[in-house]
Amino acid sequence: MVTALLLLSSRAVRAQTIVVSGNPAALKITTAVAGSQPASVSDNSTTYTVVTPNPANRTYKITAQLNAPMPTGVSLTASLAAPAGATSVGAVALDLTARDVVTGIPRQTNATRTIAYQLSATVSAGVITSSTRIVTLTVLQFP
Amino acid sequence: MSARRILTGLALLAAATSAASGQTTATQTVTFQVDAINQINFLGGPSLVINTAAAGSNPTSVTAPATWAVTTNQSGAKITASIGSAMPAGVTLSVSLTAPTGAASAGSNSLSTTAVDLVTGITKVAEGPLAVTYSLAATAAAGVIASTTRTVTYTITGGT
Repeated sequence: MVTALLLLSSRAVRAQTIVVSGNPAALKITTAVAGSQPASVSDNSTTYTVVTPNPANRTYKITAQLNAPMPTGVSLTASLAAPAGATSVGAVALDLTARDVVTGIPRQTNATRTIAYQLSATVSAGVITSSTRIVTLTVLQFP
Repeated sequence: MSARRILTGLALLAAATSAASGQTTATQTVTFQVDAINQINFLGGPSLVINTAAAGSNPTSVTAPATWAVTTNQSGAKITASIGSAMPAGVTLSVSLTAPTGAASAGSNSLSTTAVDLVTGITKVAEGPLAVTYSLAATAAAGVIASTTRTVTYTITGGT
C-alpha cells in the first residue's frame, strides 16, 4: 500500500513567439557597372514581431536559416533590426545552418522590427532563372 | 487500479502541465533571379595628328591610348566596333583592344561602317581598365585633312 500526498499545480506559461508580415518582393539582379561585379539588390519591406514571456533571468535570440543552399556565386543576407535591449548581428549570409541574427532579447519584449534582405552575385554565378528559398526564423531562449 | 499506478499517472500529469519553454518559428519565401548582364564602357577621346614623314616614305602613323572595361555573366560574348561614316580616302583608323582574361583579341583592325570583331570568347568576367590603342595611318594621296571626327561605336553581344 502506497500512501503519498501529491500536490498538483499547473500554470499556463506563454512561450516566445515570432511572426512575419509576409514575403519580401522578388530580388532581381539585372545590371552592373562595366568592370565591376553585378550590382546587389535589396528589400526591406517586411517585418517580424517577437514576443517573449516574463520568466526572470531569461533572454532570447533569433536565428535564421535556409531550406537549401544558394547557387554558387550567389549570396543572400538578412539583417534584422533589434528590439529595445537586444543586439542585431547585422547582415548575415544565410545557408542551411541556423545563424544568430538577433541576440539578447529581454523578457517581456513585444516588438516589431524590419527585416532587410540583400542579394549579391558574382559573374561566375551566370544567369539564374527565378528561384525560391524558404527562410526560417526561430526565436529561442538563450542561454 | 493500484495506488501505485494512480500515483504514477498523477506524476506524469503534473509534469505535463508545467510548461517547457519551446522554440517557435516563422518562415518567409524569398524569390530571386540573376538576369543576363553585358556591360562595356570606354574612356578617353583620343586625338590623332599625322604631321611628319621620312622623306621617300608615306606619312608616319600615329597612335593614341584609351581604356575600356567589361562585365558579362555569360559565356562567349564578343566586342565589335564600327564608325558612323567612312574615313577619307587614303586614311585608315584602326583600333586594338586588350582582351580580358580568357578572351581573345583580334589585334588591330581597321574601322569602317561595317562592324568588325575585336574581342571574342569573353566569358564571365568583370575587368577593367583594359588598354585600347587607336592608330591613324595616311598615304600621301590623302592630302591635307582638316580636324575632323569619327564616332566609334562598340557593341557587346552576349553569349549564352
